[in-house]
Amino acid sequence: MTGPVIGPVTGVELGILGQLGLVLVGVVVAVTVPPAVRSRASGSVSVLLGAAGAATGAAALAGREGVVELPTSLPLGHVALQATPLGGFFMLVAGGVGLVAALYGIGAGHGPSTSRTFCAAFPVFLGALQMVPAAGDAVSFLVAWEVMAVASTVLVLAEHAARAEVRSAASWYAAMTHLSFVLLLLGFAVLAGTGGGTDWASLSRVDPGSPSASVAFVLLAAGFATKAGVVPVHVWLPRAHPAAPSQVSAVMSAAMVKMGVYGVLLVTLRLLPGGPSWWGTALLGAGAVSAVYGILQASVATDLKRLLAYSTTENIGLMFLAAGTGLMLRAHQVTPAADAAIVACLLLVASHAAFKAALFLATGSVVHASGERDLDRMGGLGARLPVTGLAFGVGALGAAALPVTAGFVAEWALLQAVIHGARPEDRLVAVIMPIAVTVVALTAGLALLTFVKAYGIAFLARPRSDGAAAAVESSGSMQTAMISAAVAVVALGVAPGALTRAASSAAGVEPGSATLTGVDLSGVGASLEPLALLVAGALALAVVGAVSAAGRRQRRPVELSWGCGGVRADPRMQYTATSYAEPLARVFDDALRPERDVVITHAAESRYLVERVQFRQQVVDLMETRLYHPGLRLVDRAGTAGRRLQNGSIHRYLGYSFLALVAVLLVVTL
Amino acid sequence: MSESMYAQLVGLCAAVLLLCAVLIVWRRSLHGQIRLLAAQGWGLGVLVAVLGIHEGDGQLMIVAVLVLALKGIVLPRVLTRATVTDNGDLREETPLINTTASLILVALLMMLAYLVSRPVQALGSTPPVAAVPVGMAVTLFGFLVLSTRRHAVSQLIGFLLLDNGIGTIAFLTAGGVPLVVELGVSLDVLLVVLILQVLTSRIRAEFGGADLDDLTELRD
Repeated sequence: MTGPVIGPVTGVELGILGQLGLVLVGVVVAVTVPPAVRSRASGSVSVLLGAAGAATGAAALAGREGVVELPTSLPLGHVALQATPLGGFFMLVAGGVGLVAALYGIGAGHGPSTSRTFCAAFPVFLGALQMVPAAGDAVSFLVAWEVMAVASTVLVLAEHAARAEVRSAASWYAAMTHLSFVLLLLGFAVLAGTGGGTDWASLSRVDPGSPSASVAFVLLAAGFATKAGVVPVHVWLPRAHPAAPSQVSAVMSAAMVKMGVYGVLLVTLRLLPGGPSWWGTALLGAGAVSAVYGILQASVATDLKRLLAYSTTENIGLMFLAAGTGLMLRAHQVTPAADAAIVACLLLVASHAAFKAALFLATGSVVHASGERDLDRMGGLGARLPVTGLAFGVGALGAAALPVTAGFVAEWALLQAVIHGARPEDRLVAVIMPIAVTVVALTAGLALLTFVKAYGIAFLARPRSDGAAAAVESSGSMQTAMISAAVAVVALGVAPGALTRAASSAAGVEPGSATLTGVDLSGVGASLEPLALLVAGALALAVVGAVSAAGRRQRRPVELSWGCGGVRADPRMQYTATSYAEPLARVFDDALRPERDVVITHAAESRYLVERVQFRQQVVDLMETRLYHPGLRLVDRAGTAGRRLQNGSIHRYLGYSFLALVAVLLVVTL
Repeated sequence: MSESMYAQLVGLCAAVLLLCAVLIVWRRSLHGQIRLLAAQGWGLGVLVAVLGIHEGDGQLMIVAVLVLALKGIVLPRVLTRATVTDNGDLREETPLINTTASLILVALLMMLAYLVSRPVQALGSTPPVAAVPVGMAVTLFGFLVLSTRRHAVSQLIGFLLLDNGIGTIAFLTAGGVPLVVELGVSLDVLLVVLILQVLTSRIRAEFGGADLDDLTELRD
């Protein structure tokens, strides 16, 4: 058998091979290096791996090409790895996230995240994540996908010894991720059966209008949606993210779920371009539901990681909405707006990767420092963890899509695409586009509330628990990782031109006349110059400041004669996350159905005097209680019935084999 | 040995095998079953000897002696010892299927055996080939006894019946197996029976009876 590579090696090929080599090195280092330096050594290899992924992705985006074929001992033929601009974009995102997460992991070295298994699984996970977008055929794609799923399950399980809920979370995750795998396998099998081969070129020979293409699309879209965490198959997200160590949550949320988006784009843009319009409508609908449901759940969540997980569902929903809008508008020949929507989808991918990495890493630092994940027990962390607070704040700005962050640019692009996609003469588009605008607007508003809550309750005011009061800032590499993620959020927001050009070339659309700093969606006649906006904003602020300073009179000192009770402020008087979200929970009562429990204890002397009021509120995921629990009960009942077949009686087992023998003999005879 | 004599002897041995098997299904008494099993062992041994004489194969004669010794003498002894300590509990009291039903099933299985053996019988018309359905039937009867009897020793008898049937088919169709293989198989059967005998005594010592229905906690 010949070696893996023949002829001169291009830079991209070298990058792909380098990543595979680094994965091997990472595993060897994790297994051999003594525990004292394991985290540092293994983390450094992972940092290099992430950097290699980012560099390879950037090279592929710039149009460099390369194909690596690896012989395998499996009966599947070669594993073909091939860099394309679209894949390169996602490899860049995954590499970048992997880099900061690995850097963070070096400093977070304590407890189960320095175990040999964890250190070996992390580079494997990162490597598989970066190889998924590089896969050159369906088999390689599924191999990389499965390795990614298995490695991430191992990482989710890292803290299983300390916390019981981790095991349940990992089971949910493993079940859902394999559901996704099975759906993908079926989908690709349908395409391969029709197209006559497993490489992308054969798959793309299938006519997008044919029924088998639609069957494959439904299967593949469902599979990718499961991985991406779209409602109603999002249930693993709010379980797995709180269970996993923070750097793993960061990679999973910021990079892994994006592979679902990559898959959808791969199928709809590259393999089956020009599918029927209902494909786009279906994606758009799923995305819209996810976006609203995700952010509603996030807005009332009090577990910080759960909140971030639901926010991931929301953002994935927006990405699906953008991709669906693009596909639908393409099918209705509204090409400029369609192109803008797809570019917006990729911008959302990059911006979400940046701010969610910052948020998860900062959350990890908070948990590390205070031992608390419950927002209601945090507070005052801004003064104690200034770097973490800064990183979380910037990430929260991004998540709330406020200006000078990447999130703003992405949502602006999405809104532009959706608004300019409206076509009064086309009935379907005319109905759907305004709804999409509403969904995006509602989501943006709720996201703002959610992240004001998250930042305000956790980092401002006074500590609500001893853990929060005693928090100390985390180690250097963790701070560096958080700050670099935060810098990425701001940099992509201030100078989004390069990113937009990259997204355009990845999506294969005509790039607008973009400068380094500005976004120009020339097709829909909209442009944005965040730097100019920033300068104008700073000038306005300066003017207002100067005016108010000039107008300020000498303050007279005021002494309080009566403090109205305010001087004896107690941490328990503060707003909590639950109370802050209470109005929202009331407004969306029908959609959220929170379980409320109010216990009032009256004074013994009179029932008009209240001694104590206890209020407990729990928001359960409606999808879980209404959709999954009945389904699981059904499966459980079938399993119990099935157990009757196996009652332990030896006669029954012998009878089974006897009957089987007789049946076989009869079949053979007749 | 003349051809007609050979055919009659093979037929006689096959008839003994079949008759013993049917009677084992019919009898309730464990001692009676063991005696029938011994008779069947003799029948099988003689069958192998007849085949050996007809073929003029010395090795087959050695196998015949081995089969006779093992299935006609040693295994019945071992089984008898397993039941001797069993004071009074010498009958298969409550089989899962009553005797009448068992006998009807035996008839049906016999038909099945003939049906299944048709392709084999199409290959030739020599006396051993004509007797192949008997081997098949004994195998099926053995399985029936194995899966419908409650007493551990009855089950052992079913297992040996099954083994006899398989042996019969092997001798009739292939003219016997090489000595080494036969030795190995015989040793295996002997070991299994010895182990099961010990196990049965242990079960009786622990639970006071050898009814396998009490042993339903083996699952999971």
